[in-house]
Amino acid sequence: MGLLDLILTALRNLRRQKLRSALTIFAVVIGATSVTIMLALVTGAKDFFFKQFSANGTLQQIAISSQTDLSKFDDGNNGGNNCDSCIKLTDALAAKVAAVPHVTGVARRLGAGAFEAITYGGQKLRLNQIEGYDANGILSNTLLAGRDISATDQDGVITVTSDYADKWGFKGKYGDLVGKSVDLTSRTWYQGVGFTPATPAPPQPGQNNQQQPQQQPTVLKATIVGVTDGGDHGETVRAPLSWVIAMNEQQMYQMTDADRKLNEAEQQAACRNHGPGPCNPPATQHYTLVVTNFVDQNGYSAFTAKVDDPVHAAAATAAIKRLGVGAADAQSLIQSQLRIFNIISYVLGGIGAISLAVAAIGVINTMVMAILERTREIGVLRACGATRATIRRLFTIEAGLLGFLGGVIGVSCGYGLTIVANIIINRQLTGQSIKASNIIGLPLWLIAAVVGTTTVIGMLAGLYPAFRAARLNPVEALRYE
Amino acid sequence: MPTAVELHNVTRVYKMGDEILKALDGINLAIKPGEFVAITGPSGSGKSTLANIIGGLDVANSGSVMVDGLDLAAAHDKELSRYRNHTIGFVFQSFNLQPTATALENVMMPLVLGRLPRGQRRARAEACLKAVGLGERMKHKPTELSGGQRQRVAIARALANQPSIIIADEPTGNLDSERGKEIMALLHDLNKQGITLIIITHDQEIAKMADRILYIKDGRMTERRG
Repeated sequence: MGLLDLILTALRNLRRQKLRSALTIFAVVIGATSVTIMLALVTGAKDFFFKQFSANGTLQQIAISSQTDLSKFDDGNNGGNNCDSCIKLTDALAAKVAAVPHVTGVARRLGAGAFEAITYGGQKLRLNQIEGYDANGILSNTLLAGRDISATDQDGVITVTSDYADKWGFKGKYGDLVGKSVDLTSRTWYQGVGFTPATPAPPQPGQNNQQQPQQQPTVLKATIVGVTDGGDHGETVRAPLSWVIAMNEQQMYQMTDADRKLNEAEQQAACRNHGPGPCNPPATQHYTLVVTNFVDQNGYSAFTAKVDDPVHAAAATAAIKRLGVGAADAQSLIQSQLRIFNIISYVLGGIGAISLAVAAIGVINTMVMAILERTREIGVLRACGATRATIRRLFTIEAGLLGFLGGVIGVSCGYGLTIVANIIINRQLTGQSIKASNIIGLPLWLIAAVVGTTTVIGMLAGLYPAFRAARLNPVEALRYE
Repeated sequence: MPTAVELHNVTRVYKMGDEILKALDGINLAIKPGEFVAITGPSGSGKSTLANIIGGLDVANSGSVMVDGLDLAAAHDKELSRYRNHTIGFVFQSFNLQPTATALENVMMPLVLGRLPRGQRRARAEACLKAVGLGERMKHKPTELSGGQRQRVAIARALANQPSIIIADEPTGNLDSERGKEIMALLHDLNKQGITLIIITHDQEIAKMADRILYIKDGRMTERRG
């Protein structure tokens, strides 16, 4: 009996027991649907992240932070780290990282978190922090208008993300915003560049003379030189690194030893010509403006190193870790991004595996029942010239068809659900202003793999019943009532 | 050349628990091509076993069953299946038709098993159905046919691969006497066209139509001319 005839006969036999076949197939469908969605989700998400990262060069980047525990990826937005056991990200360390084999460069990153608002044309918007990094091409942004921060830029130059521009009414005409001046308003405790510290007032009786008067916010003027795409990472203002370092300065009048000596000397000089009795000269106070920098104390927020080729990223990451800092290449970044997808896929995979196991039992049951019902028919087939092998193949194919049909319907259901899931995810991502559409794909290999697997499961489940059918004695089978 | 069947000292033993049942006990038999042989005997005498061994459905424990130079007693499953498909046509008392398939599909079944090219199957099956007088009922399912018509479909199925031997086990057992006579006439007709006919029957009227009557009792055979 030829293969086509075997398949056609098996199909006809399945049609004879419509309800039973349908129920058996249904179990396979549940399993196949779960597995399809699981695979589509994981491969789609991996694909999406991989594409995104390879597009912007992230696969060649290594994120370096002072924290050695990188269970949470630090993208440099958390400011300087205060951590005793951590290694400070210093210029010297940057040089060491740059010397690691395959590393072609290092970008130091620093945030200035002391600013709370950015104002253009009277419209004040919330500002999380100002980002600065070496403009050496390692980190880049998608420009929509103007230019990115360059290595020669000094103070007073920024780029803003498009979402700011949109809110200021420049949607679709970002070019018009380039060259415009904005105000960056600090929080009251800001003491960095542009802040003019007040000379300390003479101490009042009963008052701590270290206490500073209530400060006013500092306003820095900046010119917008470019508008970058806020799609990946919105609400961000970027400035030259040197300026951001200056924003991390702390200007404070302090009484140094020299001041103290000078004060004492002046006091003594005032008392020298004083007659007998207590000498209370006017409190002459000398102070010096001392400028310290957070960067010197705490180091940079993060470094980003670049390797010559993505294949060397893992080795370079390991080498950088040996310097005592935390380092992660995009692979681990992708992994961390995939975590939620992995959890969903484990659940779906579990459901799929269990339902496929149950489905296999269902197939065995269905086929054993079919053999009991069709014992006489098997006898007739044997009398008409069917070999044992033909009977075995017939029932194996019949079981395989249950798996195949379940797989096909399951993949179709899975396809329908991925469309729904894509709509939901698209909406979600658009809400986070990430440009992406139809992350979950259903590649051809996946369809083939799922249908192939369910077919094989069906055939394997059908093996035992098929052997039983083939072993039937034709004489007894014909006599079977 | 039409097939001759030769049995030498054929024994078939069944084990029923500890008991050993000799269904056939040293049978020697030669059937000439085109012969009409009736096998009779009481129930459980071994007449069906004899027919099944000749038809290649059952295998002898000892002795030889030679058909066309093939020893069925020593043949493999593949050879026996091919033999059943090409040389033998079985007709059963209870018709044994596929209830969900049409008459035509039932007749095509041995052709499918015998891998007759797709294009020729239908024509062959139609010819067989016409030969048994069912040219008008090819699309009917067995449930839509009378008993006599069903047995005609079964005979058409037996004829499909143009066998040289037809083995009919009580072919009229489930039919009224009128239908039984018609079926016997049909089988007799086929025999006259050269097909060897082996019929198992209780019915003396039918046995009398045969060239030879083989009487089996307790696994042993006696013979008389019809």
